[in-house]
Amino acid sequence: MSDAIATSQGPPPVVSARGVVKRYGRTTALAGLEAEIGPGITGLLGSNGAGKTTFLSLILGLRIRDEGELLVLGEDPATSGLTVRARIGYAPEHHDLPSELPAADFVRHLAEVHLLPRRAAVQRANDALWLVGLGEERFRSVGAMSTGQRQRVKLAGAIAHDPELVLLDEPTDGLDPVQRTEMLDLIRRVGTEFGMHIVISSHHLEEVERICDAVVIVEGGVVAHAGSLADLRQGPEGFLVEVDERTEELAALLRQRGVDVTERDGLLLLGASDGGHDAVRDAVAELGVGLRRLVPRGRTLEDVYMGTEL
Amino acid sequence: MSTEQGTGARLFGLGYRGYEGERRTPRWAMLTIAVFTVRRVLGLGRPARHKVLPAITLAIAYVPALVSVGLAILLEDLPVGDLITYGEYMFFIGSALALFSALIAPEALCPDRRSGMLGLYLAGPLDRNRYLLAKSAAVLAVMLLITLGPLLFMFAAFVAAGHGPTLGETPELLLQILVVGVVAALGYASLSLAVSSFTTRRAAAAVGVVLLLLVPVIVARSAIESADAPDELDLLSFPFVIGELSYRVFDEFHYEGTPIERLSTSTIAAGAVAWIVAGALVCWLRYRRTENYR
Repeated sequence: MSDAIATSQGPPPVVSARGVVKRYGRTTALAGLEAEIGPGITGLLGSNGAGKTTFLSLILGLRIRDEGELLVLGEDPATSGLTVRARIGYAPEHHDLPSELPAADFVRHLAEVHLLPRRAAVQRANDALWLVGLGEERFRSVGAMSTGQRQRVKLAGAIAHDPELVLLDEPTDGLDPVQRTEMLDLIRRVGTEFGMHIVISSHHLEEVERICDAVVIVEGGVVAHAGSLADLRQGPEGFLVEVDERTEELAALLRQRGVDVTERDGLLLLGASDGGHDAVRDAVAELGVGLRRLVPRGRTLEDVYMGTEL
Repeated sequence: MSTEQGTGARLFGLGYRGYEGERRTPRWAMLTIAVFTVRRVLGLGRPARHKVLPAITLAIAYVPALVSVGLAILLEDLPVGDLITYGEYMFFIGSALALFSALIAPEALCPDRRSGMLGLYLAGPLDRNRYLLAKSAAVLAVMLLITLGPLLFMFAAFVAAGHGPTLGETPELLLQILVVGVVAALGYASLSLAVSSFTTRRAAAAVGVVLLLLVPVIVARSAIESADAPDELDLLSFPFVIGELSYRVFDEFHYEGTPIERLSTSTIAAGAVAWIVAGALVCWLRYRRTENYR
């Protein structure tokens, strides 16, 4: 697991986990998780049961790890839980908020619980609700709001006290495509304009790919991949070629002309070399076969996640 | 929009920005939750339907005191012994105490677990013990409204009407009022919090509290009277424990031949303490095991 740790030379990590183990009875939820989450927006990906929620609860200090080291904002949440949680904003996955409370009261209450004096809490609750686009709706009860609006209320509640780290659990769950786009833009804005580090737990690869600077992929209680999106996307150099027919003949012809070619699943993988494009063009024309694809080799986040790298 | 220089114009509503102001200690978080809970259980800041039950219960609790004081004022010659005494008061308002405890703690605890607020609270600068302390303080404060409040009201009104104690008797009477009011509030709060910790449904918790108050009354008395069980079994009936303790604390003679009257004052006091400790312990253990971090 050489790429499991996203090492950073610059600012200190927001979250640093070393060999973190968490067991529930005989079930091991985290089996020596190693990860560093740096500044900016980080996506926490993984299937159900992969250990994402357990990792989040350890970051919050709500559960205590069995082994390993964990530092959040430079402090150990197991021993400094109150201090750490005062610096964190959290928006849970569920939408079951107190239905009778007006949004402004709910967000203000959370801000007070996060140690803001009353007057500041009132002011910042209003500001946060305006920021998430609910300024005009802030006196409506949460129960009368749509799922999209509740997601925004949760985000406002998570940021009203100006935390250093914001944990968002499935922040686009239940949103339609337009709302999802708006929410992602909003999260991006919060993460870039207001200096908060954000960790988004999500199932949606495309969302993470769209707004995150880095990704941690958890599978089976360990980090399967981690790093900046740019690093993870960077695949081997060269090209991928797909033709209608006579793939083997094309490969042979390209080899004759000095091109490094590997065949895999009916595709040709070409190594990086000068003139690769031209060689493919000429060989395809010479054989008279149809060219379906001629694209640079690379990886999407889905390739990384699914292990389908070409 | 144009402004002239030097008019002292100020810009308000700068929008969301970083916060550099004061941040308080975790005690502030506890106080916030306690105040929020008190307001919630009394229906303050909520639609009118949430105010009805607390208002009715408070009325039931204060009516005997009002009647007693009213009679004392209107009928000056009425012997004090004919009025409701301090010691009797807990028996008089037994239904209000049962109703209030079935209403308050379930409203304070259950919705937080049902709606996921508990998870949000615990994701802040709180832990389960601090959360429980805040909630318990809120429930206790509201219970004091009907255990201590009417007694203090009666005391103040009697003093104002000229039926109060002598100056020398006043400190002792105030202490007695305080002891009875606080012990009753602690007991009812503790047992209703314990019951509420078992369910996320307010209605189920309310029924549970009422059953816990009523069933032992019937079962224990039946067992003592028909099966010759020891009188100590009456200590399982918390309303009897508080009622009898109230008589003893106020030094009021009272004997109707019930089993609990045959017990010593120290035994009854121990029974009251046992109820309070057991309820608090059960609630604490329940929350210690709860892993509700939605």
